[in-house]
Amino acid sequence: MAIKGVLVDITKCVGCGSCTVACKMWNNQNYVNPETKETENAHGFEAELDSNTWTTVQYVKAQKDGKEVLRYVKRQCMHCQDPSCSSVCFAHAFHQTEEGAVQYDPELCVGCRYCMIACPFDIPKYEWEKAFPSVMKCQFCSSKLAQGEAPACASVCPTNALVFGDRDALLAKAHEIIAAEPDKYVQHVYGENEVGGTNWLYISDVPFGDLGFPTNLPQTSVPSNVHKFTRFTPAIFIGGAALWSGVYLYSSRRHKVAEHEGKHEEEKHEE
Amino acid sequence: MQKHDELENKKGMSRRRFLSVMAGAGIVGAAATMSGCSPVSDPSGTGWLPNQYRNASDLPAQVKGRVPLDPDNISLIRNDEKCILCGQCLEACEKVQSIFGYYELPVHDEFICVHCGQCSLWCPTGAIKERSEIEKVQAAINNPDVTVVVHTAPATRVGFGEEFGQEAGAWAEGQQVDALRKLGFDYVLDTNWSADLTIMEEGSELVHRITSGGVLPQFTSCCPGWVKFVEYYYPDLIPNLSSAKSPTMMHGPTIKTYMAQKLMDQGVIDNPTQIYNVAIMPCVAKKFEIAREEFTDAAAYWQEQGKDWATLESMRDMDAVLSVRELADMVRGAGIKYEDLDPNAQYDPIEGIGSTAGLIFGNTGGVMEAAVRSAYYLITGQQPPEALYTLTPVRGLEGIKKATLNIPGVGDVTVAVASGLANARKLCEQVRAGKADFQFMEIMSCPGGCIAGGGQPRTTVPPQDWVRQARIDTIYNKDKVGVINAASDEQGKTMKLALSHMNPEITAIYDEFLGAPLSDLAHHLCHTEYYSRADALDPKN
Repeated sequence: MAIKGVLVDITKCVGCGSCTVACKMWNNQNYVNPETKETENAHGFEAELDSNTWTTVQYVKAQKDGKEVLRYVKRQCMHCQDPSCSSVCFAHAFHQTEEGAVQYDPELCVGCRYCMIACPFDIPKYEWEKAFPSVMKCQFCSSKLAQGEAPACASVCPTNALVFGDRDALLAKAHEIIAAEPDKYVQHVYGENEVGGTNWLYISDVPFGDLGFPTNLPQTSVPSNVHKFTRFTPAIFIGGAALWSGVYLYSSRRHKVAEHEGKHEEEKHEE
Repeated sequence: MQKHDELENKKGMSRRRFLSVMAGAGIVGAAATMSGCSPVSDPSGTGWLPNQYRNASDLPAQVKGRVPLDPDNISLIRNDEKCILCGQCLEACEKVQSIFGYYELPVHDEFICVHCGQCSLWCPTGAIKERSEIEKVQAAINNPDVTVVVHTAPATRVGFGEEFGQEAGAWAEGQQVDALRKLGFDYVLDTNWSADLTIMEEGSELVHRITSGGVLPQFTSCCPGWVKFVEYYYPDLIPNLSSAKSPTMMHGPTIKTYMAQKLMDQGVIDNPTQIYNVAIMPCVAKKFEIAREEFTDAAAYWQEQGKDWATLESMRDMDAVLSVRELADMVRGAGIKYEDLDPNAQYDPIEGIGSTAGLIFGNTGGVMEAAVRSAYYLITGQQPPEALYTLTPVRGLEGIKKATLNIPGVGDVTVAVASGLANARKLCEQVRAGKADFQFMEIMSCPGGCIAGGGQPRTTVPPQDWVRQARIDTIYNKDKVGVINAASDEQGKTMKLALSHMNPEITAIYDEFLGAPLSDLAHHLCHTEYYSRADALDPKN
């Protein structure tokens, strides 16, 4: 199965928040902020992800051509092609589905929160208020994808600011769109190469940094970068074990020899 | 002894063996779990979405999403918990009002909305509703130092009853007046009066434009949604908009000047800042209108009179607008029974008498018909002929209506009437192209006019023509009484009168205060200016 993705065209978003409502409906979530216990919308200037809110539409005031403009930025898990969260999780609570969704399994999670530190987009959120908390994030509606449907958010977007499809095709389309209107669009498809590529892709008319996207990310996947040195771990472990075993064997042999020679001398002495 | 052994065997398993099996299973299970062998559990949803969003294909749903609505929208609020993404608000906004989808994306720096509130009438779950001002109105009522003055729009009296189980279009003028009194409003006035005042000003302006070669066609300006629509999409046609304010915005400053003086003379108030002006409206765009920055004309008037009672910021012309739905909520909240309300309650004097020409403002085509009656008088100095009392071509629910009238001294005057902004857009395009074959154009944002305004009861959801027609019929039937009175030459003696210029309280305000229509003072208090909102969007047709 081809890797799926969603192309988000920031210029087409009207800030209606339909996607945030669809997300809550499909995932059976209420509108109560788990920390403040207050009912709040998942869209607005203050909107933030939490364990009960897997996507938000954040309103952002930005500058464009010397004028203040209002932009609406949908946020959710980017579904990295080589996800850091999955890489750091020793409990294997994260895995990728055939469609490219980075899925989290609360049954396996031990609650260490490494994933929260590892995520370059600050996506996973902890259920701080629960006795046995899980880490929660967008699942790319894997239950809908499995039936061939678009994720809830993308299926309800009235302006097609969210387009669901095969990632390869969406990436080609994104380049087509920004190339066709070079004066309008920033010539960059966010997510094409960020941390090695994400299945959610963004195009925009305002620089991504001004919209709150992290822009200092490596263009290769974090796990593969880390792998440059973590791959030595087995060698270091085995080599270290071998080295110290050698040292042990050597020193214990010396000790034995010394002991033996001592005995010998004693014997001699006795003689 | 043997029996005992058999019994042991039947038990099957010794305690020690059971424990060791359980411990072994536990260790295997824990190991399997930790190594990721347990079946995958997926927290992603199995919730409900409307069926149109459940297609296993790339084909988009026909009706999807919902209208963008600024969380700070002054007229409307939306409760996301109730929203089911049925898409009906978008249908209303795009197809009926031609707002959504009629501007290029990306947006500039605001949500585009004309505050008509049709979305709140179409929303099946009541997720979208008016932004309530009940609390601040109640606070004003509770404040003994404040005199709360309220006026009720023409269309409210055919909606109010529906909130209490009455049939569509039930006449509830008296009940509404009585309810307001029982709620503690100090003076209950009739917006039909200010509608008459509007006719005097707007009609005089039309006559002036026709006779002096001014910009034509003249557009009506009573509907704040329509005015904002012109400011957004047709700023080049702003000169066509009548400079006359809407009835409410004429009522506000005249209450705080002309009526305030009378109340001060009576010793009811010390100064106009003690007046709190409320309007009961079939409309939520009025909440936007009263907050328009420029509407501080009463304060400016008193400053010119050398009274430092208020700054422009501290005293606004209007203080609050309640939709019919909010008024009904107040009535319910106060435990007032509809059956106990007096159907014959009368409005208070000074600015409380309205003609039935003012009343028909509530119907699409009504402003036009009322204006034509008085314009005829203003031009010819004679009462209009019988035919002008029933201007059938401009009545009814058709989206765009036209009629040609012969007025002696002027010749043929063609008028156009539209309701629903998608229809208004068609007429605006004609005007912009220079192809307008009419001199006067009445637009109401809401299909059917104010009787089906965004603040009216949600008697059917979405709004249906049979309800609109029932409300329209009630209003025209009441107007017939006015027509009979006018014909029997009882002008001035009765409230039920079909001519704005014969309203005794209108003649009084001109005699005592304003002078004449279009006078300097009338310009100060009853006329306004509009400004382009072209910067807010790039229009798209």
